[in-house]
Amino acid sequence: MDINPLWIFQLIGRLHPMIVHFPIGLIFVALLLEMLTYRGKQGLREGISWLINLGALSAVVASIMGILLINFDSYGGDLVLNHQIAGLLTTLFSIITAILLCRAKKAPNPNFLPYRISLILTTIILTVAGHLGASLTHGDDFLTELLPWKGTNYDSSKTSALLAEVSQQDSVSIRQLDRISLEVRALFAHNCYQCHSEEKQKGELVLDSKEGVFAGGESGPMFIIGDAQNSEIIRRITLPKNHDEVMPKKGNILSTDEVNLISWWIDNGAHWVDGDIKIFPEAPLALTKPELPPADGSMQHPIDRLINAYFEKNGISWPEVVDDRKFIQRAYLDIIGLLPTPAQIQKFEGDIDPNKRTKLIQSLLSDDHNYTQHWISFWNDILRNDYSGTGFITGGRKQITDWLYTSLLENKPYHQMVKELTNPTEESEGFIKGIQWRGAVNASQTTSMQAAQNIGQSLMGMNVKCASCHNSFVSNLSLAQTYAFANIFSDTTLELYRCDKPTGKMAQTEFIYSELGSVEAETIKERLKLLSEVIIKPENGRLYRTIVNRIWERLNGRGIVEPLDEMDNEPWNGDLLDWLASDFIAHDYDLKYLIENIMTSRAYQLPGVGYKDPQAIKTERYVYKGPVIRRLTAEQFTDAVSQVITPVYHALAFDPSDEDQDFSRVWHREIEFDRDVLPKPGKRYFRKSFNVPNKDLESAQVLISVDHAYTLYINEQVVLSGNDWKKIGKAHVDDLITKGENIIAVEGENEGPIPNPAGILFRLKLDYSDGTSDTIASDRNWISTKEVSSDAWKKLAFDDSSWEEVRRFGTSAWGKMVNFTFDENGDKFARASLVQLDPFLKALGRPTRENVATTREEQASLLQALELTNGEFFNNLLEEGAKKWLAEYHSDPKVIADSLYLKCLGRLPSDTEQKVILSALGDTPDEAAIQDLFWATLLLPEFQFIN
Amino acid sequence: MGMASAAAMSASIPASSFLSSCSGPKIPSTADSVILLWMAGGMAHTETFDPKAYTPFTKGVESKRVLSTFPKVPTAVDGLYFSEGLESVGSVMDRGAIIRSYRSADLGHILHTRHQYHWHTCYEPPQSVQMPHIGAWIAKELGPKNDVIPPFIALGQRFTVGEAEELKAFHSAGFLGGEYGPFLIPDPSAGMQSVRPPQGMDINRFEARNKLYKELTNKSPMGDLGSDYQKESLIRSMEQSYRLLNSPEVKAFDLGDEPEKKYEQYNTGRFGLGCLMAKRLVQHGARFISVSTEYEPFLGWDTHENGHLRAKGMKQLIDRPIAQLIKDLEESGHLDRTLIILASEFSRDAILEGRPGEKVKDQVNQPDVIEDEKFYGMHRHFTDGASILMWGGGIEKGLVFGKTAEERPCSSIEDTVVIDQIHQSIYHALGIPPETHYTIEGRPVYTTPDGNGEAIMRLFGKDTTV
Repeated sequence: MDINPLWIFQLIGRLHPMIVHFPIGLIFVALLLEMLTYRGKQGLREGISWLINLGALSAVVASIMGILLINFDSYGGDLVLNHQIAGLLTTLFSIITAILLCRAKKAPNPNFLPYRISLILTTIILTVAGHLGASLTHGDDFLTELLPWKGTNYDSSKTSALLAEVSQQDSVSIRQLDRISLEVRALFAHNCYQCHSEEKQKGELVLDSKEGVFAGGESGPMFIIGDAQNSEIIRRITLPKNHDEVMPKKGNILSTDEVNLISWWIDNGAHWVDGDIKIFPEAPLALTKPELPPADGSMQHPIDRLINAYFEKNGISWPEVVDDRKFIQRAYLDIIGLLPTPAQIQKFEGDIDPNKRTKLIQSLLSDDHNYTQHWISFWNDILRNDYSGTGFITGGRKQITDWLYTSLLENKPYHQMVKELTNPTEESEGFIKGIQWRGAVNASQTTSMQAAQNIGQSLMGMNVKCASCHNSFVSNLSLAQTYAFANIFSDTTLELYRCDKPTGKMAQTEFIYSELGSVEAETIKERLKLLSEVIIKPENGRLYRTIVNRIWERLNGRGIVEPLDEMDNEPWNGDLLDWLASDFIAHDYDLKYLIENIMTSRAYQLPGVGYKDPQAIKTERYVYKGPVIRRLTAEQFTDAVSQVITPVYHALAFDPSDEDQDFSRVWHREIEFDRDVLPKPGKRYFRKSFNVPNKDLESAQVLISVDHAYTLYINEQVVLSGNDWKKIGKAHVDDLITKGENIIAVEGENEGPIPNPAGILFRLKLDYSDGTSDTIASDRNWISTKEVSSDAWKKLAFDDSSWEEVRRFGTSAWGKMVNFTFDENGDKFARASLVQLDPFLKALGRPTRENVATTREEQASLLQALELTNGEFFNNLLEEGAKKWLAEYHSDPKVIADSLYLKCLGRLPSDTEQKVILSALGDTPDEAAIQDLFWATLLLPEFQFIN
Repeated sequence: MGMASAAAMSASIPASSFLSSCSGPKIPSTADSVILLWMAGGMAHTETFDPKAYTPFTKGVESKRVLSTFPKVPTAVDGLYFSEGLESVGSVMDRGAIIRSYRSADLGHILHTRHQYHWHTCYEPPQSVQMPHIGAWIAKELGPKNDVIPPFIALGQRFTVGEAEELKAFHSAGFLGGEYGPFLIPDPSAGMQSVRPPQGMDINRFEARNKLYKELTNKSPMGDLGSDYQKESLIRSMEQSYRLLNSPEVKAFDLGDEPEKKYEQYNTGRFGLGCLMAKRLVQHGARFISVSTEYEPFLGWDTHENGHLRAKGMKQLIDRPIAQLIKDLEESGHLDRTLIILASEFSRDAILEGRPGEKVKDQVNQPDVIEDEKFYGMHRHFTDGASILMWGGGIEKGLVFGKTAEERPCSSIEDTVVIDQIHQSIYHALGIPPETHYTIEGRPVYTTPDGNGEAIMRLFGKDTTV
């Protein structure tokens, strides 16, 4: 063994924790005695003086040792630094105190005040130093962990109540014994299963079976029946927290009541009751049929009648509903995701129809495309659907966008949607298909398991993920149940794997709630059909509770149950939840009806409630007082910028109106080892032939944008060339087109030192005099090659049989898409819900949708603020918008200020606001001034939040 | 609803707002910052930091005879040899340690990004929740060291390359929330663009714009909402971003601020400049930085052909800047509290694909007899042994830990180390307790799966074996 030559210093250093107690003791006693001198016991002074001198001396010694300890042992971090500072200050002040006392004593007219103040200061700093030191050795929650509100992971109020009940009685009934037994098992489940269950078996101890509990573990039986005092388990669970042998090792130690209950159980014979214990609270499957409180006066709407009862119970009075302006803004944003225009607001405010709010809701709901383009984001999140990614090489995501868009557009009944998701056609199979990564995959992540997990989470509000690996620790769901569910989707019978180890048991085939009906059949197809019929039964109240809760949350900022995916949690109003679900079923599972029903209630129209602490919203303590303030979603914000400032996106990843429209860029496909790789630098050649029918051509127009450089030929004639993909080449080519076969040829070049994205975006529109038209776009019908030997490749007659199909590159590599339209003054914009995820939308909170995402982040973050403050994407948009506004409003600062506030906030600026704005804009605002006003207005909390 | 204890409720708080759960004894930290030098694409250990018998290229040499295509060179540590071309890194090995016995996971048919996901998150994909990158865990637990430098910065990796979605999947804070996600700087030489006022906006205008925003916010009637956490968080993050963009400290991102000589010492390409920026960032108080040679299928360390020549090029890219980084941080006194790690998702071999003995689908055609030099090198993916280097931050100096076999398969044969131990060692150095976890969708999710894996105490000069 190497001997550290400095071991002596290290040793001395390590005596620090012992020596520090001298100054602590001495100085505290000195202060105590000094207090007595206040009452005249001046005789104590001599002793105090000794105490203080010794205290100061020992503080110096302790400091030196402390410094040695830091330098010769590995200590670091803020806590150490703070302790060090406090320690040195203690030493300094104790010396000052000693000097002050010495002086005071010697003075002819003793003034003890400075000394006394110094002594008190020393003691305070000493206390801080001591506390920091103790935190270093014992952990900084050494004290706080004992505070009564630092509870365990388990609701111990039940334990306490049960314990109180039985300990007050002389004899207990068998029913009480059963309950105690279940409670003890629940305590084991919550505190011990993580390490001591069939799965883990640490110390050979198994607590999730009777045999295991009574057999004990490595160190012998766990308890002696009738003698809790001498039982190993009681010894271990009552050890101090940092003891080597304390149980549980992970998590918090048990509360006194919990220990007492286990002791009571052992002392009273360790009665065991078999059978399944429902350890966790579980919502009943069926809906209750809550009775509606009677209607009266303004309380006509069923939702309001239920909430009125709730308000009365909780002593809450109804606030005034929001004004027309706020209402119309909310209604627009919630139903179609867009801002109302100033004209629409004005018209609505002036409308004297008492039913105008209901009528507005109905008319917005009938705006089918805009409704769909708003709500599709909600469904994409829940159903894990997106327009790009997750590739994962082997069988990635399969889109269900076509199916989803149509379903929303037609307002397909919800039970029908669920039916088609669980027993899918080719169009809707993406949801249960799952994502397969190349290579070997953990048994809990096979695609059939993913199907069970996603249906569980998205549709049933149930956490199946835990029980995919072992019996759940958070619900009553077992591994066997989960496998039985997953088995529905598997072409071979699944073997149960526990924590990725085979168990030899084969899975049954059953839906989680087997009472709804059998799903057993020979083939997957048949099983899926059965599942889709079983799952949508009205008896499956959970399915409908889950969806109405999600919609309620979208419209009110907080679900009736939270989190939205844990439908076993307590609702703040169970009657409301079950009434909404039953009513939804009674109205043919009509989603638009559900939205209308909620939005026409007075409750929806209450002012937004703000919370200082987000936890006040998310816990079960939550008390409803009205909708919670919500931030605009990524899509709502982006669309609002498109509406007010300038179109953010021009091209859609998914275009519902025009199936042929394809904004994909194409380039030569390059393959290495069976894999597509990025285009290498260099020239590539592209061809596309097309046929023009025998009709009169009225016009032929070309659009082209190529990354990086290109020359475009039509029928061997040069049409356009360029080297900036952001600049769109446009040309009329009427003269070049002939009836019959034509040929488009593009010579493209990818620049750069290393492979990088490249692509041609092309469109040729042929308008005929009979009113019909044809479009030829860059799509997979183009062919390409790497090398040509002569100029002949541009000719129609060229033999291109050896050329290959091009590769489509989508659009994601090019950031903001170009305004690829023939329309010169197109203010049309693409809805953010239908474009590919980009860094801007991502920063604003649109999820990547690799996993089901049922809520979005509510709090702003620095990275998001940076994207909005200095991000090139956003600033370019504002600059572009400023140019347009300048052209439109001719530098009139007042008009600009008024228009912007009206468009964004639906109101004119107040006098004080106007003063601020006008002073910022100056008399003749330039582009930059307008751009900065845009920025400041768009980020105003008043704009960012729906309240 | 009935009574519910505080704890029962904390179980239902969503991912973004839960309380920290660590309560174990505090570990004294030995490091405040981490730099991860990422050798993306699978760096062959036998061609770099763990050379075996050298077989020069001759026409007709058998593939099975090729273990290393470079001769060995000595390092600053007695008895420790590196592969030729890594002399500079070798010269600073007296300041660090080498682990020669890392074993990657066996994930079947090889996919780089799956192994990279595993290395960076400690969890094998796919996962049913989005797992955080180790940098995000560190950002969450320790926060920024300097308030104006984001706590997790990723240098060098672009997402416009192949397997982009897979790369994005682990460059993420996952369930910890976007706040702890990576601040991405793909091109270090343009690093300033990410942290200065928008282009074309001078400081006066930037100030004026911010003043306008503040005034309009104060005048707006939204004030009558009282305090709302969402509003507060918006105002707070806007304020933070303004402070960052306006802070003199962002000079740390400006490589133009370096003397030309220093710049050239590092400038072997984007990776070298990444090292230079990492140096500057650490000196200004960054918490976690990764510098990647950048993963792009079949490029960088992912040598499917011409392995020898390409390894030579990669060594030229990394050798000088890494050694310079260690020396510069040592000179400025930051090395003691900065843990530097060099690692790759797995290694490579001339013949073996995946684990020895497992039948994994080959992805590269390697002839038995090499006639063309393009087949000379390590072209297949090998998961049974790899090297990890560490410097500073309490790491034992001159330590050589573990070893691999001298003959094929060059597997780890002593003190085999897996990723959980590497992560726990990093957390240990930073003083983050091993049982750190959060409750996500009802389940405890630890920094390493189930909280398994122990820090390798020998790396810190503490021999725990008896």
